[in-house]
Amino acid sequence: MLTKHELLEPLARLRNDQVVVTTMATVRPWTRYSEHALDFASADSAMGHAADFALGIALARPERKVICLNGDGSMLMSLGTLVTIMSSGAKNFILFVVQNDSYEITGNQPIPGTGFVDFRAMAKAAGFLRVYAFDDPRDYGSALPGILAGDGAVFVTVKVEPGSEGPLCRRPEESAHYLRYSLAESVRRVQRALRNSA
Amino acid sequence: MVQAKLILESLKQLKVTHVLTVPDNGSRALLDLLWSDREIQVVSVTREGEAFAIAAGLWVGGKIPVILIQNTGLLESGDALRGTVLRMRVPLLCLITCRGYAKFSALKASIAPGAADAELLSRPDLDSIALLTEPTLRAWSIPFELLESDADTCKIADAFRKAQTLEQPVALLLTSSTT
Repeated sequence: MLTKHELLEPLARLRNDQVVVTTMATVRPWTRYSEHALDFASADSAMGHAADFALGIALARPERKVICLNGDGSMLMSLGTLVTIMSSGAKNFILFVVQNDSYEITGNQPIPGTGFVDFRAMAKAAGFLRVYAFDDPRDYGSALPGILAGDGAVFVTVKVEPGSEGPLCRRPEESAHYLRYSLAESVRRVQRALRNSA
Repeated sequence: MVQAKLILESLKQLKVTHVLTVPDNGSRALLDLLWSDREIQVVSVTREGEAFAIAAGLWVGGKIPVILIQNTGLLESGDALRGTVLRMRVPLLCLITCRGYAKFSALKASIAPGAADAELLSRPDLDSIALLTEPTLRAWSIPFELLESDADTCKIADAFRKAQTLEQPVALLLTSSTT
């Protein structure tokens, strides 16, 4: 099992111009390693809709990779999105499921299927050809450059220790840079950043 | 009835890039045209809520998406619609095909606004989705117009521009099947 540091630090270090969409228990931790104009927090939004929102960006900008750090509870809420991703033909989309087996920001209640749910098998069944599952930080760290480099829709599930992230909100005094703006302003900031870096 | 080819022409004039859809009988003719035409990319989704989130992402990426779903799917979309395109202030044209409007239209004048109680919603001679579509759009503050005949297709460009001006979704209700 990885700590969030072991999950996020290498990813932030290897990331260059990809869009990164976070949600739930990775929203605040990600900002300890990244303050990028193409970071977006799916917070104060709709639970279960980070991956499909990120897919939309990927379909709009096929020349640029999009990484989504989805929660396991969020993924369960919209499993059909796995099929939509593959059906859409997106080749520039990397979907992480951060599997802490809990709804962390509401108090670590267990997700349905804790102990037996198999996200790797579900991704394969949905048609993903590049599927990775990690519970060891060294394996993850050594595979990550290849995961980020290759083409095609990629699915990565990583077992992560539950933490104690609290509820998310957007307000000017937030320490997490992308939570200082309203959702409407946040999407426009990413839109401008994409336009300016085209 | 509205001819699908007129809707397609309007969407092309507006430079729509993507149509996000869950098919139904009402949209069948339009989707057949879209799939054969190929100028506008059709993205089939597994549930209607996905359509709104993907549309938001497409708009962030600089594209011009349109939603094409049934009124039942509009209700399915509830929190996705609220938490993505409404809260993000995404200008978005939504074409909503309307199940149940044939029976509903005949009785519409006799049904008081807000009168959709359990008695009315369970009547076997009415499709409850038709009773709930317009009140739901009003509750979500989504402006809408009815698209009932070929003459109404000018409303497509009007609704599109309204969505751009208001920076929010605007709906057109197709009260019968496209042909």
